[in-house]
Amino acid sequence: MSDAPDVDAGGRDDEGGGRDDGDGGDDDRSGSAEPPRRTGRLDSETRQGTPYTESQVIMSTVKVVSPFAFTYGLFVTFHGGGSPGGGFQGGAIMAAVVFMIAFAFGIEATRQWLANTVVVALAVGGTLAFAAIGLIPVALGGAFLQYDLLPLPILDPVKYGMEAVEIVGIAAIVSGVLMGLFFVLARGFNGDDSGASVGEGGPFADGEPPEDGDGVATDGGER
Amino acid sequence: MTGALSPAVAQVTAIEASLFVFVVLTALATAFARDVLAAVIVFGAYSLGMAALYTFYRAPDVAMTEAAISAGVTTVLLLLTLAKTTRIDHEAVFESLNYPAAGAAGLLFAGLAITMVDVPAVGSPDAPVWSNPDVTQWYLAETYAETGVENTVMAVLAAFRGFDTFGEAVVVFAAGIAALIVLRREVFA
Repeated sequence: MSDAPDVDAGGRDDEGGGRDDGDGGDDDRSGSAEPPRRTGRLDSETRQGTPYTESQVIMSTVKVVSPFAFTYGLFVTFHGGGSPGGGFQGGAIMAAVVFMIAFAFGIEATRQWLANTVVVALAVGGTLAFAAIGLIPVALGGAFLQYDLLPLPILDPVKYGMEAVEIVGIAAIVSGVLMGLFFVLARGFNGDDSGASVGEGGPFADGEPPEDGDGVATDGGER
Repeated sequence: MTGALSPAVAQVTAIEASLFVFVVLTALATAFARDVLAAVIVFGAYSLGMAALYTFYRAPDVAMTEAAISAGVTTVLLLLTLAKTTRIDHEAVFESLNYPAAGAAGLLFAGLAITMVDVPAVGSPDAPVWSNPDVTQWYLAETYAETGVENTVMAVLAAFRGFDTFGEAVVVFAAGIAALIVLRREVFA
């Protein structure tokens, strides 16, 4: 635990102050490219801001499983009218595929592969699409979500209006928001939005009393 | 077992019984595990057991949601949170019993168990969902004619109660925004 007492002391000191104060007052902490290895982490290193271990077994498994899981998510979404499921479940399954890929290939790599634009477009576009499908009948003199007024010339407007709500609306919202929650939780508590930030998770990194206090017992030894 | 309960008990199959035992054991293990990581993993197993149980009681939509959201997404998000914070190594496997908390949980359990006597058996014709056919049977009978889809659950969610679903979808969207605000970020990825 006490492999790097200087850094630990610094990390402990700036608990009360802001992030910048802590870094300014402690040269070791801001100067080191990588934070020192700490026991108690789920994984060995916070190289990507989140723990990641490259594993051939996991990567191979995910490579095989993810196309099927994603297809199943699409099926659950698109076939929600005729079998159990729907946009919520299908969207969650599709988001879970992205989680799987992130666990196999690294969250940071997945984050760069799946741009923020995609996540935001899914969440915002889904909400707007749902609202639009609901408001079009209002514009045509009906009630909110009165599907039979939807201007669909050939298709059954009720059935395909519902499917549109499920697929374009709910599935997009749920998958987008879940992916967004995943990525934003992986990034942690941090105002810095550049892609290269490592580990300095602000109050999260500062608030690790059981580990950080260990090096200097007088400072913050809580265990 | 009392005589009144025995018919219901006799209908429980071996698979259901083992699922019940599994769910109760994993729930207890979640509550008592000393290690947070172990508790999260066992909690995922609990959700998977619940999903299987819902499937048995013919609620596949709920089962899918439970499996995808509770067993999958929630477990991943909790693991991620653990990875971002810290995990303390413990020697003890189980948490020591907190008597006030155990007393409160026991009282709640007793209160719920009292109501169980009046809950109708699974598939019973006296169950409220069947004894009010004017409402419930109407949905089962008329869904296809009214909406063109076979899945009544989806028809209720998207058509008959579509406005509520719109509110729920906006709540999900707002949850994403709230996470951004709480974590003081402007972009997800």
